[in-house]
Amino acid sequence: MNKKIMELDSVEVWDGNMAAAQALRQADVDVVAAYPITPSTPTVENYAGFHANGYVDGEFVMVESEHAAMSACVGAAAAGGRVATATSSQGFALMIEVLYQASGMRLPITLIQVNRALAAPLNVNGDHSDMYLGRDSGWVNVCSFSPQEVYDLTLCSFRIGEHLDVRLPVIVNQDGFMCSHTAQNVNVLDDKTACDFVGTYKAVNSMLDFSKPVTHGVQTEENWHFEHKAKQHAALMGSTKVIDEVFAEFEKLTGRKYKRLETYKMEDAEVAIVALGTTYESAQIAADQMREKGIKAGVIAPRVIRPFPLEEMSAALQNVKAIACMDRSAPGGTVGALYNEICGALFNSPARPVVSNIIYGLGGRDMTITTLCEIYAELDKDAKSGKRNGPLQRFVGVRGPELGFYNV
Amino acid sequence: MSTKSIKEMGWNELVIGASLYSFENTINYNVAEVLPEDRHYAETNSKMAYVGDWRVFKPVWNSELCIDCQNCWLYCPDTSIISRDKKMVGVDYDHCKGCGICVEVCPTNPKSLLMFAEQVKNEEALTQWPEKSKGE
Amino acid sequence: MSNQKEIKNLKSFSTAAERFEGAHVLCPGCAHSIIVREILNATNDNLVVSAATGCLEVCTAIYPHTSWDCSWIHIGFENASTAIAGAESMHKALKRKGRIDANQKDPKFVAFGGDGATYDIGFQWISGCFERGHNMMYVCLDNEVYANTGGQRSSSTPIGASATTSPAGSTSYGEKQNKKDILAIMAAHGAPYVAQVAPNKWKDMVKKIQTGFETEGPVFINAMSACTTEWKFPMHKTVEASDLAVDSLVFPLYEIINGTELNITYRPKNIVPVRDYLAFQPRFKHLFKPEYAHIIEEWQRRVDAKWDYLQRREEARV
Repeated sequence: MNKKIMELDSVEVWDGNMAAAQALRQADVDVVAAYPITPSTPTVENYAGFHANGYVDGEFVMVESEHAAMSACVGAAAAGGRVATATSSQGFALMIEVLYQASGMRLPITLIQVNRALAAPLNVNGDHSDMYLGRDSGWVNVCSFSPQEVYDLTLCSFRIGEHLDVRLPVIVNQDGFMCSHTAQNVNVLDDKTACDFVGTYKAVNSMLDFSKPVTHGVQTEENWHFEHKAKQHAALMGSTKVIDEVFAEFEKLTGRKYKRLETYKMEDAEVAIVALGTTYESAQIAADQMREKGIKAGVIAPRVIRPFPLEEMSAALQNVKAIACMDRSAPGGTVGALYNEICGALFNSPARPVVSNIIYGLGGRDMTITTLCEIYAELDKDAKSGKRNGPLQRFVGVRGPELGFYNV
Repeated sequence: MSTKSIKEMGWNELVIGASLYSFENTINYNVAEVLPEDRHYAETNSKMAYVGDWRVFKPVWNSELCIDCQNCWLYCPDTSIISRDKKMVGVDYDHCKGCGICVEVCPTNPKSLLMFAEQVKNEEALTQWPEKSKGE
Repeated sequence: MSNQKEIKNLKSFSTAAERFEGAHVLCPGCAHSIIVREILNATNDNLVVSAATGCLEVCTAIYPHTSWDCSWIHIGFENASTAIAGAESMHKALKRKGRIDANQKDPKFVAFGGDGATYDIGFQWISGCFERGHNMMYVCLDNEVYANTGGQRSSSTPIGASATTSPAGSTSYGEKQNKKDILAIMAAHGAPYVAQVAPNKWKDMVKKIQTGFETEGPVFINAMSACTTEWKFPMHKTVEASDLAVDSLVFPLYEIINGTELNITYRPKNIVPVRDYLAFQPRFKHLFKPEYAHIIEEWQRRVDAKWDYLQRREEARV
């Protein structure tokens, strides 16, 4: 634990960036190597402020690019200590090769990712294109929908990634501006309780352990590569057990319950929206409004997108008649990622709901409760007729003629 | 400790991150202060591997002519000239690739290291040693 | 009083317990290996080493074998320097937090990179490390091409060299740009110590490496690595190639302390014409066509001008 304790109220008013920075501080990170980029900059600035005022005993290194930030994190992690950083969008894109290297090298690192649109055109606002870019990078990927969740999941991320059965880096996502710059009540733990929950770092194959010299980051030819990638995938898939344990322990400590698949009124839902980020919370309000009109609406979100909760998703959607998979990322020539993954989860099950794909909210375009209600109304029509009455993929909220694709 | 060779391991048995250990078990000495023959190398250390089959020609060392100048030890790219207590011991034929640098840098006349075809036995090579060359 | 072991002469140097093992898959005659052995044998301290993607990395850490008897990391092509900076930062943090024995001597942090990694793709990363002042040594193994992938040009490739992406042809004399002056650039970062070394001058190399290991802050070493495969001289002539490089002053051996004290550390007894250096390497053979005589003359002019500059700066102590 850092020597200097910060006295906090039991409820603070923090935006997502401050929540992340405070969680990093309480987690007693050994090395933070970072670079500023909107909208994650305040995470780094807040942490710099803590460091400058003696609240951080670890090293704080401002590097010259995001690629360097992740590179320094990998070197530091291989040297056997707790490591974290923060970035968004272009910065995330710049460090992408190092993300694959970090996970392949099985190094726990926490990355605070404040989701922002990817250029071009240049846009600093919140959407999920950067989150989607990192899907295959081999990191555990969790999504927060509010500053409270950023705080909670950041603390959990170290427990998950550093667990001896996992040893993988973890991304904690949050919506740019909508979460990162929106202050809300956050129930916080005191420094000691938070630090005790995160626990002591356990070193594995540390470069600073001179009793066991180790070579990290080798080249594997075609006779070895597959085994190591298989092993890595198995660890990522198997992390569900550790994630569940950590969430259970966190619930005992705080009363706040996290699930790898979050659901809202899905028990009897006939129509459902699948969405990530702050949209999940907005959709809950829309679902309640639709229920007053007699439509059994529900909301579902993969809290943990990697490893993807395919079995849980499939089970939760068996009795739903119409589903809208809402992707907040430019789909790049096909259906959105959530659509693909939900359909993939359902295909090998008996359920055959009407599933559609909605592209929305790019570059920080608002997704209002009114629009979500309209989407639910469309889903209700789909549910009653048993088929879609339009193209499979629709762009919702864009000015101009109707934009839809795939008429299957 | 595992006695299974890495070659027989499935994905579930390999060290994570494809990391490789230099030594068997943990060590309680400073590697730089312990000679290679006293270390416990892991099978994953290249010291335990063989590249002798790269050679077409091999260096043969003539200990009678050698003055222990250590040039060959210094310039061998393959850590294959073995020197102990400031004296030449010989060539590590498991690791020697036959580049011939050791012969080039040998200062004696005739040289104390010469290249011979791989199949020539060292004892025979020593009987074929040239005389001192004049006028150079 | 030096905190490095005393190495009086070659015989005492030869008592070093090697930490760079054979049966790596570097080419027979590779100078990288000679340089790495000299550097690792120059100290008995604990080492944390990194390497950029390239010949050294690929050939010494190809699964399931490692040639390193010390902790070692490779991440990618650009970031050997930053990898080591991260490890160095972790060491600082753990020491401050009491998780590392404060009485244990600090390890040496050393990053290796080829000229591709150093002059080109990893340049920003090295610059960042040096600006931040990490306690580390960066060694550039300079063979003037991207050797590991077959010899493509880098910004270290000297003018007139034939590389696969700047080949000599009927309408071209090969590389058109002059070699970047990496040492001047690194000295301009305010690094406390930068130096050029060559493996044939082992005593000069060892002295500079030990100076580097004793220096607080970032140290840059540019090591001339004559590449038999890409410069195309016979594999047993690596030391002779190195001799020609330093004796022709194409690769002068000097050091710069705190950016201002320049010391020439090797003055050849007989300066060899640049022409002889070029003639030794088939990668320059096309320059000996009559229409390219001016390039060889320009080579000699530049080498002479650089030598003159070094001597004047050494005298002026600026």
